[in-house]
Amino acid sequence: MTTLVNSRLVDELGRAHEFNAAACMDCGVCSAVCPLEIELLPRRLFRHVLLGMEERLVEETETIYSCLLCGLCEESCPGGVHITENVRALRHFLNTNAVGGAR
Amino acid sequence: MSEERRIGVYVCHCGGNISDYVDVAQVIGAVEDEPGVVVARAAMFTCSDATQQEIIDDIREQELDGMVVASCSPSLHTETFREVARRAGLNPYEYTQVNIREQCSWAHTDDREGATRKAIRLVRAGIARTRLSAPLEPVTVETVPKTLVVGGGVAGLRAAFGLAEIGLEVFLVEREAELGGQVGNLGAIYPHGNDGRALIARLTRAVGERPNITVFTRAELVEKSGSFGNYQATVRVGGEPGERIQIDVGSIVVATGFDSYEPEAGELGYGIEGVLTLPEFEQLLNQDGALTFNGKPVESIAYVYCVGSRQPGGHEYCSRYCCSTAVHDSLRVAEHSPDVRQYHLHRDMRTYGKNELLYSESRERGSLYIRFADGEPPAVEKLPDGRLRVTVRDLLTEGEELAIESDLLVLVTGMVPRQNEELTGVLKLPVGKDGFFNEIHPKLRPVETVVDGVLIAGACQGPKSASESVTSALAAVSQSAAILKKGSAELDPLVATVDPEKCSWCGTCQEACPYDAIGRLALNGKQVAAVEAAVCKGCGGCVPVCAEEAIDLQGYTDAQVRAMIDGLLQEVAR
Ligand SMILES: Cc1cc2nc3c(=O)[nH]c(=O)nc-3n(C[C@H](O)[C@H](O)[C@H](O)COP(=O)(O)OP(=O)(O)OC[C@H]3O[C@@H](n4cnc5c(N)ncnc54)[C@H](O)[C@@H]3O)c2cc1C
Ligand code: SF4
Ligand code: SF4
Repeated sequence: MTTLVNSRLVDELGRAHEFNAAACMDCGVCSAVCPLEIELLPRRLFRHVLLGMEERLVEETETIYSCLLCGLCEESCPGGVHITENVRALRHFLNTNAVGGAR
Repeated sequence: MSEERRIGVYVCHCGGNISDYVDVAQVIGAVEDEPGVVVARAAMFTCSDATQQEIIDDIREQELDGMVVASCSPSLHTETFREVARRAGLNPYEYTQVNIREQCSWAHTDDREGATRKAIRLVRAGIARTRLSAPLEPVTVETVPKTLVVGGGVAGLRAAFGLAEIGLEVFLVEREAELGGQVGNLGAIYPHGNDGRALIARLTRAVGERPNITVFTRAELVEKSGSFGNYQATVRVGGEPGERIQIDVGSIVVATGFDSYEPEAGELGYGIEGVLTLPEFEQLLNQDGALTFNGKPVESIAYVYCVGSRQPGGHEYCSRYCCSTAVHDSLRVAEHSPDVRQYHLHRDMRTYGKNELLYSESRERGSLYIRFADGEPPAVEKLPDGRLRVTVRDLLTEGEELAIESDLLVLVTGMVPRQNEELTGVLKLPVGKDGFFNEIHPKLRPVETVVDGVLIAGACQGPKSASESVTSALAAVSQSAAILKKGSAELDPLVATVDPEKCSWCGTCQEACPYDAIGRLALNGKQVAAVEAAVCKGCGGCVPVCAEEAIDLQGYTDAQVRAMIDGLLQEVAR
């Protein structure tokens, strides 16, 4: 299936919640250090946001909420991405938009 | 004659490199009684300062008139020991280097006796050559303190100005009507956003104000003759047939630049309205205010990188400038049109060095980077509403197929070698496999070519940014100064000579010479061959073809070579 890239999503998130994943270089350190071994968070999630794959975020609601916000990934991130802040922004987005409506 | 020679022979241990497999004492024993040898000694390291001094003392005290060092490769130490001879007052061409390391100890580690016997033969041959050696003086050529610069882009202009500053007279030849090359068409360029046109205007003005620079536009170099330090160049000015001007110069700096890759029709949608090459996009960016295309505001731009570069079987190299230029362009767009969406489709980003900061900044400003696999280029189609749809598999999202709708698609086109057959022919410039001009050594002699006195600068050598082009231009300036500022240059005298008594001018040698070093001379009522010593490279190609045996190579005369063969064949006692 081809996804039509929609870059408005990141704008929306960025404006409302200071979401910023521009410095993410997709290195995978965050996934490697995660104590819950959440493979999806955060790098793939960030890509989904950047590309505007809103349905994917909804599909990943469980994972987004299972994150402990322990910050280990953020400590280790060579790009200096504010990962926990971004995860909070995603939760808020799901609360206000997708979760309430879709479920 | 040989009985009268006084030759010193030095055999090196090379700290075991030689003596582990060659019996140095046996070699000395076998050669010390050769005719003409008055000193024969071993040394742990012949090249050490202490041993060099001992040799100098020997030469002076024993009044040596010849010297043989049996050690390592001549390419390593010939000059070292020639210098030892000079310091002792011995003519440096009375010295022979014999290689018993690469050719004996390193080659025959399985056979000590054999290696030793071979060393004895080689040293005897060296002594035989030295017995017949003669003092030679370097060929001194006066050099003309003038330089011809071919190509008036940023590299050629900067070279011309630099050459003029060190006091050389400069002729700058530009094929087009205007100076400036590619940078002369550019607006803000990376890294600092300086205006390319303004930069060139400044340089052109500086060049114009120099009384010792003569600029020819619509001009080309069409002929070159002469030899190192004294070239006669013919420049054609004003197209065909034009006016032909003769200039004498000591060196030539070639700065003829590159061409931009021109995509094939249909390649990544090239030909569809809105699909632009990088130079075309640069022109579009030079407009004032918010970005428009065909009168309509631009809302989104997609870029495809490496178009015409890094293509197996095609242009295989990276063009270096294009990642940084496209990223810099995206920042220019973000500057006056912050809402424009920008998508960069790349194979990997090569914003090397400080340009990495431009890449980070562009991501911070919202540019989205999408990575596709080698050999899986994006597909491009036109949408009914006139916009473009680019489809690509994104490796950073695990191969997700993405579609991007954009107003413009920029093909980030690379650099290709400029078609310059005429110039390449005139200067006999070495062209590499990639089509760019080749230097002698990429690290140590990066602007010299195998043609003495002909230097290369800028992007004619391979992809370079403007600052890299200028750096190499200034290297060519200092290399020209090294050749021309002394006013003369000394060349090796190991060149061919003609015995006019024997020569009957048949012309065979002239045909055999790959360097056009042989001419004809009228002497005592007959025609004879004459070698231009400054042009001759001492390759020896003419020697065997002469039926009259009238040609000899100084330092390697027929008599010397025969004596060396005799020395090699002489029995070695077991
Ligand atoms: C679209 C684009 C954007 C770029 N952006 C940047 C940037 O932002 N920053 C940066 O650092 N670099 C940039 N570059 C690279 C930059 O243009 C080159 O580094 C630079 O032009 C190399 O200079 P040069 O003098 O070697 O060659 P050129 O600029 O190609 O100049 C060569 C000159 O030689 C002349 N010539 C050629 N053959 C002959 C002949 N036989 N006889 C006489 N004259 C001849 C040509 O007419 C030309 O004037 C960009 C290039 C392009 C194409
Ligand atoms: S560690 Fe940081 S830069 Fe690396 S993938 Fe995770 S978020 Fe991105
Ligand atoms: S500089 Fe970038 S776009 Fe240009 S060839 Fe190299 S990798 Fe490709």
